[in-house]
Amino acid sequence: LDMALRELKVCLLGETGVGKSSIVWRFVEDSFDPNINPTIGASFMTKTVQYQNELHKFLIWDTAGQERFRALAPMYYRGSAAAIIVYDITKEESFQTLKNWVKELRQHGPPNIVVAIAGNKCDLSDAREVSEKDAKDYADSIHAIFVETSAKNAININEVFIEISKRIPAVDVVGATAARGFKLGRQASESHRTCC
Amino acid sequence: MSLCVSPPQSFLIVCDPATSQPGLLVVSAGEEQEGVLDYHIQTTGTAFRLSESRLSFPDLAQLVFFYSLTRDVLPGCLTVPRWIYSVTAKNREHLSRLQPEAWLSTPPDLQADAMTQRELSNVVCSIQLTSANGALCIINPLYIHDHGDDWLTHRATAPTQLSGSHRQRFGNRPVMDTGMASKRPVSLNQELPVRENSGLVRATSADSPQSASGGVVLRRLSSASGSYHRASADSLPPSTPSTPQALSSSASDLQSPGSQAPPSPHRVSWIEDGVWLPPPRPSSLLPPPSLELDTLSISSIEEEQESGTSNINPHVPSTQSLASKVVHRLSVVGQALGGLVCQKKRLTNRVQELSRRRAEPFSEAVKEFVEVTLRSGANHNGALEFLQGVRSSLTSLRETLLESQEVQALLDSITDISDPEIDTLIELSLHKVALKPVSAHLNSCIHASRTSDGTVRELQSNMRVLEKKGIKELGGSADVGVPDAVTLERIQQRWTSLHEAYSPNKKVHILLKVCKSIYHSMSANATSGSVHGADDFLPCLTWVLLRSDAVTLQIDTDYMMELLDPTQLQGEGGYYLTTLYASLYYISSFQPRLAARQLSVEAQESLNQWHRRRTLYCNRSRRSPHRQTIRKPGPISRMKAGTKGEHGAKPSEQEPGCQGTSCVQDSKGKSGLEEVAEAPSLGREPGRKEEVLAQSSETERVVKEEDSTEIPEKERENKEEVLAQSSETELGGEVRGVRQNCRAEER
Repeated sequence: LDMALRELKVCLLGETGVGKSSIVWRFVEDSFDPNINPTIGASFMTKTVQYQNELHKFLIWDTAGQERFRALAPMYYRGSAAAIIVYDITKEESFQTLKNWVKELRQHGPPNIVVAIAGNKCDLSDAREVSEKDAKDYADSIHAIFVETSAKNAININEVFIEISKRIPAVDVVGATAARGFKLGRQASESHRTCC
Repeated sequence: MSLCVSPPQSFLIVCDPATSQPGLLVVSAGEEQEGVLDYHIQTTGTAFRLSESRLSFPDLAQLVFFYSLTRDVLPGCLTVPRWIYSVTAKNREHLSRLQPEAWLSTPPDLQADAMTQRELSNVVCSIQLTSANGALCIINPLYIHDHGDDWLTHRATAPTQLSGSHRQRFGNRPVMDTGMASKRPVSLNQELPVRENSGLVRATSADSPQSASGGVVLRRLSSASGSYHRASADSLPPSTPSTPQALSSSASDLQSPGSQAPPSPHRVSWIEDGVWLPPPRPSSLLPPPSLELDTLSISSIEEEQESGTSNINPHVPSTQSLASKVVHRLSVVGQALGGLVCQKKRLTNRVQELSRRRAEPFSEAVKEFVEVTLRSGANHNGALEFLQGVRSSLTSLRETLLESQEVQALLDSITDISDPEIDTLIELSLHKVALKPVSAHLNSCIHASRTSDGTVRELQSNMRVLEKKGIKELGGSADVGVPDAVTLERIQQRWTSLHEAYSPNKKVHILLKVCKSIYHSMSANATSGSVHGADDFLPCLTWVLLRSDAVTLQIDTDYMMELLDPTQLQGEGGYYLTTLYASLYYISSFQPRLAARQLSVEAQESLNQWHRRRTLYCNRSRRSPHRQTIRKPGPISRMKAGTKGEHGAKPSEQEPGCQGTSCVQDSKGKSGLEEVAEAPSLGREPGRKEEVLAQSSETERVVKEEDSTEIPEKERENKEEVLAQSSETELGGEVRGVRQNCRAEER
């Protein structure tokens, strides 16, 4: 039973230290086998999950969150199907940085990019500086996915990606049939070649 | 009970009464420990494995045999009773009548035979499966049977030890047959000897099929005297029946007093020398597998065998990863046997052959491509456009190639290679015939172009400023490690080979190796065990680049970016290539403000064009629907436009670069990148912003409609006017203030 495989580039944005790479690591971890799926490092990782009758292969591009590298971000987020913008619920400032990322993506990111907001470190609620409601309201106002996550305690990590899968527009009918089955005959693929 | 007092690693296999399948491997822990260890045997379909291990075996005999050679998850190798080796046709029927306890000690019937074995020495398995320096070597046991295996285990320090050894050949199921199963479990707490009539089903030799496939050569060597007892090759039936429910070994004489020398190891190549066998032992000439490549996956980039390191330190114990090595080894074998290598080779050879054949459309096209490319490129300012032209020629060469009947036929005959792999192969073949002859020329074009646009100078002068900065000053976290001198030296060598490679794929491959060793240094020298992501990797890569020939790397980066098959760009290679580009960009744009701006124009230009090419050609790639990735065309033109905003220094430069879609611009991006780069945390008046947005999205629509078409000069001018306006709106005095703050941080 062949399923359509879709590669979804997802970029991770957010201030340095908010736990971007920990989130990816947590997401990829259970499927991570260095022998089967060796990756060079945590800044680029992949994971394939099934969503309905499709396989979604997330190609996760981490970005450096330091202010000084800010200008480099467009090189990373272009072509992304989704962006996960991460802030630290114990750092108000990281939430402000997030808002700037949202603005930038809205203006310069790919059109229709799916934006997910992840309030990480929700295990540290004692030190919370950003209220869940404020963040949720903000996310709703920009039609973004919102979840509070804890990479440390594995809370809501998969959910972020599931929500992204849900929001990825379905492949149009022509595309879907073309994408179905990797073992298309060569003649068939010849014809597809010209149709794009 | 018997098992407890049996020698260590004697064992029994106990069947699960419910399923009649072997369920438990019970291993004696030896007299000192006074206990037994249980290992559950999992049966999945036709495979058997210990639940603690990941290794599966097609039958129980192979499992037992394997664990008698390699302990894997066990405390030690299983001990197979020695008398089993003296079983002959004459006494084999006794076997079927043996009770469990017999497997723990030498049965009386066989005792005499065992005695006649004289100094039964230790058994050495010499099936060798190795891949020295990347070359897979499988040794046919039959060859060893005929020619001996001294050459395999020749030891420089002890050459006489093995000379004149005699071999005995066994079936590969020497001890048991899983086809028979016990109806009743044997409880280990019961006194085994008294259960004479326990109702255990007895195996008879008639029940067991003769399955003498695949021999295992066992060599006996008498360590004491050097005199060997030769057992006849047919002294053992090909398939030795046994009581399946209770297999054990006595091996009480493993360390018999008569044996003067320490026991020779059981060995399989990957547990050779020094892993869990006691020193001192002479080392094998065969390199240990611990440093081996795993190149089975496309994205897998392991260190290559390096003769220097592997010879220096060949005895690294790596017991933890043994299982994975075995798995790996098996997959290497599988791949080799699959004949893929051969198919790949055939394809590459055929392409080369076609490129040389007269009157062949493909060879004509290649010839023309090489001639035209070598003639072009005089205009140094347009090196990147030139490279894009080269890339599109490569893509059409690929089409031509795929139209060839011969290639079609060949591809249709290849069934075991996945489509992306075929694409890669075709691409690599193409590089060989088309890119190789022109790569030096392309390099000099890029170099000239990068010199004339000032990048070379910027890189050189900024490196002098930046190289004094430590990793922390470059943005890395305090605990992150950087490569040591040795690693850095190796990285330099890799950069050299990266530069020398003509295939962009090969270059990326080498880049990934460098990134991998940087990652290794990051965590190896780091103090905490945290996960290192891009926050640390980018500073570390920058740190390395500051100690490398950044100018040459800039040329190589351009080469890779422009010439790599666009379908490769979203994966791991694309990620690290982007990071390399980003890091070089960070260095070259680091200091002097004006220069940074001009460079920014150039750098962004290149990025945009790169992306444009990607979107232009990726859809044409063969079978592209199969790896359809959601790609949005938007940011390209915007990013591109972003370079030509108010700072777009030299208007004269804008014109030559504008060909076809490359001159498509929109207002949104015009000032965008600059602004993003410089004033990210800028909050604008909401009303104003919306106006700007409305404007830009309108322009964008126009851009989309006109994508891929030539925009009339007039219209372009109009657009630039709009751009100028929107730039104006977005850059108030406040913005400039923020910018300066940002700059201050850099300084």
